[in-house]
Amino acid sequence: MNPLLEQFLSESREALQNIAEKLMQLEKEPTSVDLVTELFRFVHTLKGNSGLFELPELTRVIHAGEDLMDAVRSGRVAYSSILADRLLDAMDFIGILCDEIESHERIDARHGSDSVRLAEALRQLIVSTPPETAPALPSEVAATANETEKISLPLELIPETARLAAYRSALQGNILHWLAYRPVEDCFFQGDDPFYQSRQTPGILWVSIAARSELPKLADLDPYNCLLDFTILSCAPREELDEYYRYLREQIHLTALQPHALIIPQGDPNGGPVYEDFVADALLLLQTGNSEGLVRAARSMLELSNPDLWFSSALRWLLLVIECEPANHAAQEVILTSLRTLTPLVWENPAAPATIAAPAPVVATVTETTALTPATTVAQEMPPEIMAIVAVQRDILTMPLDVNWSGRCKGAVAALSGCLRAFGAAAAVAGLEQALQDSLADKSAEPLLEWLDNFFAASAAQPQTEQTEATDPLQSAALQEVQTDAPVTTTAQADADVKFGRRTEDNFSGPKSIKVDQTKIDRLMNLIGEMVVAKNALPYLAGRAENVYGVRDLSREIKSQYAVINRIAEEMQDSIMQVRMMPVSFVFQRFPRLVRDTSNKLGKEVRLVLEGEDTEADKNIIESLGEPLVHIVRNSLDHGLEMPEVRRALGKPTVGTLTIRASQESDRVVIEIRDDGKGIDPEVIKHKAYEKGVISEEQLERISDQEAVNLVFAAGFSTAEVISDLSGRGVGMDVVRTAVEKVNGTIRLESEKGKGTCISISLPLSMAVSNVMIIESNNQIFGVPMESVVETVRIPRSDIRSIKKSQTTVLRNRIVPLKPLNTMLGIAAPQKANEEDKLAVLIANVFGEHVGILVDDFHETVDIILKPMTGVLAGLSAYSGSALLGDGSVLMVLDIKEII
Amino acid sequence: MAITFKKDRAVFVDTVSGDDAENLLEWLHKYPKGKIDLTACTHLHPANLQVLMAAKRPVVLRPKDTLLAEWISSAIKLV
Repeated sequence: MNPLLEQFLSESREALQNIAEKLMQLEKEPTSVDLVTELFRFVHTLKGNSGLFELPELTRVIHAGEDLMDAVRSGRVAYSSILADRLLDAMDFIGILCDEIESHERIDARHGSDSVRLAEALRQLIVSTPPETAPALPSEVAATANETEKISLPLELIPETARLAAYRSALQGNILHWLAYRPVEDCFFQGDDPFYQSRQTPGILWVSIAARSELPKLADLDPYNCLLDFTILSCAPREELDEYYRYLREQIHLTALQPHALIIPQGDPNGGPVYEDFVADALLLLQTGNSEGLVRAARSMLELSNPDLWFSSALRWLLLVIECEPANHAAQEVILTSLRTLTPLVWENPAAPATIAAPAPVVATVTETTALTPATTVAQEMPPEIMAIVAVQRDILTMPLDVNWSGRCKGAVAALSGCLRAFGAAAAVAGLEQALQDSLADKSAEPLLEWLDNFFAASAAQPQTEQTEATDPLQSAALQEVQTDAPVTTTAQADADVKFGRRTEDNFSGPKSIKVDQTKIDRLMNLIGEMVVAKNALPYLAGRAENVYGVRDLSREIKSQYAVINRIAEEMQDSIMQVRMMPVSFVFQRFPRLVRDTSNKLGKEVRLVLEGEDTEADKNIIESLGEPLVHIVRNSLDHGLEMPEVRRALGKPTVGTLTIRASQESDRVVIEIRDDGKGIDPEVIKHKAYEKGVISEEQLERISDQEAVNLVFAAGFSTAEVISDLSGRGVGMDVVRTAVEKVNGTIRLESEKGKGTCISISLPLSMAVSNVMIIESNNQIFGVPMESVVETVRIPRSDIRSIKKSQTTVLRNRIVPLKPLNTMLGIAAPQKANEEDKLAVLIANVFGEHVGILVDDFHETVDIILKPMTGVLAGLSAYSGSALLGDGSVLMVLDIKEII
Repeated sequence: MAITFKKDRAVFVDTVSGDDAENLLEWLHKYPKGKIDLTACTHLHPANLQVLMAAKRPVVLRPKDTLLAEWISSAIKLV
């Protein structure tokens, strides 16, 4: 996952928790201005963050929440528990979206309608306050527009060919959608092209464009104020449409169409002969099941008639219905009947003939249908799911009386009234409440059960017929309002609000990242380090088992156990390292600003190039890098890069380039700072160093150019003529070197006069555990850090030459100076040779040069935790620290640079 | 490509962007009898369409792109 998104998720979770917390506090003191301000700030931040990503569903809800909180903050809306409920609901919804983003890295478009509803619920609270603070929000306008459109869909506007095609497609299993798209008026300024958007709608069958209202006269027309409405007929599944319009969810209104609603014959109703005979014959053919004959008759009739006639249009529909649904005789009969009378089609509904016998196109939502039916027949209209709920409530009511009986009764009644309201039978709720009161008074469930039996008697008697009704497409309302889009009426608000609340006990999914105090991590790392060292005791133990106690088998077993522990310890070490790893971008991110400000102040033109920002290293290492890098970059800007005119005169591009590159080389991080400035003149450095007393006159003559350049790292050195506020106080590079060496890093400077300078810093990836080689001298053991060990060799005493007082040898054609360790440590004893009279030489790398250190013997290498010398020992510069070995002895680790 | 404005007609070619709507409006003012030629047009931004609808000028040459012709026929009269 993209790290930015990851961070967003963890921050959002935190923000959600904070919002919930503040809301709870606000419940206790609803007038607290501080709390409201804080709450607003959280919501505002969350919204701002979400805007970085393409998450329209999420942003829409948070935006509404922010507007609401802003209104609360400015006192336009008072805090209420409804407000808290809705806001909490919205936050739960956002939590769900966050979970989804985490698992799928995107939000499914199916959340679109929920998102719109939640946003509207929040905005309603802003609008329902005093009139002067009720700006008509675009979504509100769209919402009310949707309401009016629901009354009737002008399906007859669709040309017959498109309707025929749609019908055919619907019967192949596609669901038809009528999509009303009303772009916002300023959509052109947002770069939208609603026409293009409409044309690209998936499964598009037909588009129509109409002006929203009478367009103004040409002279008054603002071409960039969108006044057009788009209507689209599509056969794509709802999810696909939701996905396609996910950014415009507030601007569209979707209605699912029953295919039969499209059968609207059109044309000239007059001028044709009377078709009584044909209709009679056709009905007969239909009844006898002779569909071939019917098709033939209809075809020949169609050929004889003028194609523009209403009659012909109806015939075309008849042929299509026969072709697509040969078994649906009812539909064919309806068409034939209407042919006889030349009147629009009448879809009969045997279930409730009185209510739905309206002329086609029949348009009715589920709510309307049930609202028109008398309460006693409501039960017949209820789907099986509701009946199941009712049956469960009945069971609950018949349970034996006990302590919780009255609560249970109330619960059952609440569930039942919810069902009733949802199906438009709110009037019956009063009767139910009355029955509840009676029941509670009598302490018996009888009144309630009686009411239930009366109300639902009819449905219990005929469950079978209900099944068939549901499957017959002709009998349900011709159009069905898409369920999730059902308008939320204010009376049923409490029940109809979709709750996204997640109880803490079920499906709690906590954040995937945790913030931990660094000291805890450090402690863990120290412990793991101790573990690494402690495991080193096992090989000693194995050795003792074998050598001292003579139990070879036990020794072998200990060794195999050691292998297992070793593997686990290494993995632990690796994991804790991963925890502490940070990208160098943490340090790099300050440079663009630093370079910009500094170069502006100096009047130089600089282009900064950052590379390898995602290279990772231990947190301590990264943090220790900050200071030195700032020094180096300032130096490069101040001393390295020339003024633009100088550069132009030299034939260089006026804009200087400063490159900071990070890369990983095996177990080290290398940071390179390169500029294409004037470079360092070794002669100038030499003389400066001599003037400041850094080198002697003798050294001045001998020193090589490379050595001279590296003198800038010496203490108290500065080349700048004038001490500016940027650099030049003579501490710069010295401090840099010390800081780098403190974390076991090395720094190297290369420079070519006139071409530029390159400083490379090499740092260990981590500093927790170091690898040292154990050497022996005068019966004591010492550690030497592996990074300074080049190789170990045995040299015959005869190969050692003395030049003046120094010993040297030739190793692979190179002269290597030799230094006895005993001498360097002030031990009088000479180095011991082995039985072949060869001396052990450890070739070490000191400041880029090889030095041979004469020791008595070599031992193995071990992983140790280097503890710096503290207290009175801190002054002993010969040692970089001490460590505990597996057998309990103390190992002193030499600081080779200091003792040479 | 955009709209080429001539004295007697405005020729729409390929996809016509919204930027042209203002020019189109101006041109319609200037040449009230000019014809609109959509023959080579494949898509036009609704801002243009809106201007054409407001102009109530039926002299529009039908686009060769049959789909476009069908879609816009609900909004403007094509010849």
